[in-house]
Formats: sequence, C-alpha cells, structure tokens
Amino acid sequence: MTATETPRPAAGSDDGWLRAANEHEAVELLHELGCTDGLPVIVPTPERVARMVLASGLDGDLMLAELGPALGAATVEKIAVAAVMAGCLPDHMPLVVAAVQAVADPAFDLTEMQATTHCTAPLVIVNGPLAPVLGVHAGFGALGPGFRANASIGRALRLAMINIGGGRAGSADMSLLGHPGKFTYCLAEAEDASPWEPFHVARGFEASQTVVTVIGAEAPHSVIAIADRDVDPGGDRILNALAACVASVSTNNAVLGGGMAVVILNPDHAATLAQAGLSRADVQTALHARAANRRSVLTGQAPAMARRGDPDDLVHCFASPDDICVLVAGGGGLYSMVMPSWCAGPHRNRAVSVAVDTDQACVIPGLSGG
Amino acid sequence: MRDGINLARRGVPAVALVTEEFLPQSVFVARAAGMPDIPRIILPHPVAGTGREAMRKVAESYVPAMLSALGRPS
Repeated sequence: MTATETPRPAAGSDDGWLRAANEHEAVELLHELGCTDGLPVIVPTPERVARMVLASGLDGDLMLAELGPALGAATVEKIAVAAVMAGCLPDHMPLVVAAVQAVADPAFDLTEMQATTHCTAPLVIVNGPLAPVLGVHAGFGALGPGFRANASIGRALRLAMINIGGGRAGSADMSLLGHPGKFTYCLAEAEDASPWEPFHVARGFEASQTVVTVIGAEAPHSVIAIADRDVDPGGDRILNALAACVASVSTNNAVLGGGMAVVILNPDHAATLAQAGLSRADVQTALHARAANRRSVLTGQAPAMARRGDPDDLVHCFASPDDICVLVAGGGGLYSMVMPSWCAGPHRNRAVSVAVDTDQACVIPGLSGG
Repeated sequence: MRDGINLARRGVPAVALVTEEFLPQSVFVARAAGMPDIPRIILPHPVAGTGREAMRKVAESYVPAMLSALGRPS
C-alpha cells in the first residue's frame, strides 16, 4: 500500500490527537508527517505512552530539557513517545531520559550539531550496573544489529532529536550525507573485560552509578593492530595505529583542532596496553602526544582552515589528553575503533555524562516486555 | 540566520544571506528563533569555494538588494 493509494486522516486535528483506522495506517501517517527515521515505528498510543511515563516514575508533563534547533520542550511524555516509537521497553526509559538530558546540556552544542553539514551523531555510552541488567550490549558486534537495548535506546534519542528538537533531514538537519549511526549509536562499556576502572569512574562518577555519556561523533573507523606481546610489548604499534587514525588530516579534529574523539579499544588491545604498564590516563596521554601533524602538512592540505604559525610546529589535534575518550568494548581481536568528532560548535562539541536516576524509576510487574 | 536574528534583536539592521540549498533550513531556524520574517537574500549555491572572480560577481549583483533590505535606497 502506498501513501497515494489510501486517503490519510488530516495531520493533527482540533483536539491535538492523530487518528488512524488501524496500526498500519498509523505508521504510514507518522511516516508521512516526517515523524519517523524512515523505518517503521511502534505507534505511540496513549496507553503505550502512559506505560512508558509510569515506568519513568516522573510526571508526564515535567519538562526536563529544551532541544534545539526547534527549542522543543522535552517533557517526560514526549520523551516517552520517542521511546515507544523506537521500540524501547519501559525499563529502558531512565536511560533514554538521561540521554536526552545529556544532549540538552549546552556543552553538547545540540542546536548547532543538528544543523551542521557535518555527519556528527550522538554516540551513547552506557556504564554501570544497569547496563547488563537492561541488556545494553558491550561485546562482539556492540555497534551492530541484533541487540534490542542498543538499537532502541539510541533510536529513541534520535527520534526525540527529530520530533522534539526538529532535526529533520533537509530542513533543519543539513548533514551532507549523514552516517548510519544517526539511526542508532549506542553501546555499553565492557567493564568486565577492561583492565581499567570503568569509563564513568574515570569521568568522576561512582562505580555504583549507572551513567549515560553522549558525544557527537563521526561514524566509527576501524583500526587494525596486532596485539602481539612478543612483537609489540609496549603496545606502541597499537598506539601508533590509533593515533594515525584519530589524527588523519581528513578529520575536523586535525584541521580545525580541538574538540574530542572516542577511542574504543577491543579487550585484547586494552590488555596489551595494560600489561605494558599503561593506565587509561597513560593511553590518553600517549594518544594526545602522537595525534599531531606538522603545520606545513595542515596548511598545505587545508590552507583556509589550518591554524597559522611556524610551518615546522607539531600541531596537536586535541587540547588535552582528557579530550580523547578511551573505553573498552567489543570482542577481542585485531580491531579497535576510532570516532573523530565535528568539534566546531561553540563549546567544541563536548562529551556530557548524566547519572541515571534510578530512585524515581519503578519496575512494574507485567509492564516489562512491552 | 542566527547571526542576522541576533543582530536584529540588538536593534542593528540586519539581512541574512542564505544560499538556495539552505532556504528550507533558514525558514525553520527563523521560525524556531521567533523571527520568521527576518529579511533574507537568497544567493545561488554554492558560493564558498567558487573562486574569487565568481564570488565578486555574486557580491556585486546582490549588494543593491542587501542595501535595500537594510533600508537604504539602492
């Protein structure tokens, strides 16, 4: 059935409700109104939304944030609509709420990020005890298909950014190509497989807290390095491979300088670095030092944008080692991943972490499972 | 768009320059920022990167419209 074959209900009505004859028609109507990401959604009926709101433990009309560029009011109910549409379980709602609050932090530069021609998308990183309980996957294929919590929580944030924040492709969202992470881009850190303290602890939270961190990121770029303790006992080759990728002269971080980036080490790479005696902070420091380009290379490549100075200077991509977020996830093997960032917003596109408020959320018997 | 809107809010005559590819975004941003009628001039797309000569021609042909939009006789 195509949109032209079937008469559609009017978009909206006097009482503010959308109406459709059945589930199928409702999905088509939501597509037609530009309320989806292009994939089918779960229809946010009043009952389903009310159930999601109930699971949050918060009042539906409580306004948690304002999302740009539309400056839409992110009430608990509107976030619940996005969570329902994305296919979340009610139990996922506290994580979705935290992710929305995180992108609304001014340091995240959401308004500018939603409007830019760059491909940036919020990567959602979940840490803490609730991540495994809710099934947020951290192991093999964590950024790929097959994991309901990763798929639906990241998608809920995107639908909130579209329907509350107004970030529709071609009108407000001017990303020239976008990237597949704009559908969903969510994983947990593999804390059990990491030789270091959890990522959220390194960012100042307690291990017992569940924390959602968001960062505007490019699509992940694979980095190959053999974690061989005979050949590369100090982990130098791993560090060099990661630094070369994050400092590529094609990235905004290299050309414009500043901003942040994400480095996701697979557990084997992390173990090799840890056995060489490196802490997470040591890895960040080493990557910061190596993620640099000769100024003459930058001015030769991007004369209009490269920062001026002595052509022989080594220009670091990042202002501080802390600007390189290092976490551990995925299966063990040859490949780690690097996500450079857009880094051009007024706050240079900062990562933002928000603790999940589990005191309010309630598990209601019979509600989990949709 | 936002620069033009912010200037206008401060009482400075402003006109926003928008290339035609970004016209839908300009309509959205102007409405969201509460100034849907901010004067704007639609330029061809692209302007950036087209070379000094082409950019000079664009500038010359649109200056009268800019002055007019800013309230001066062209």
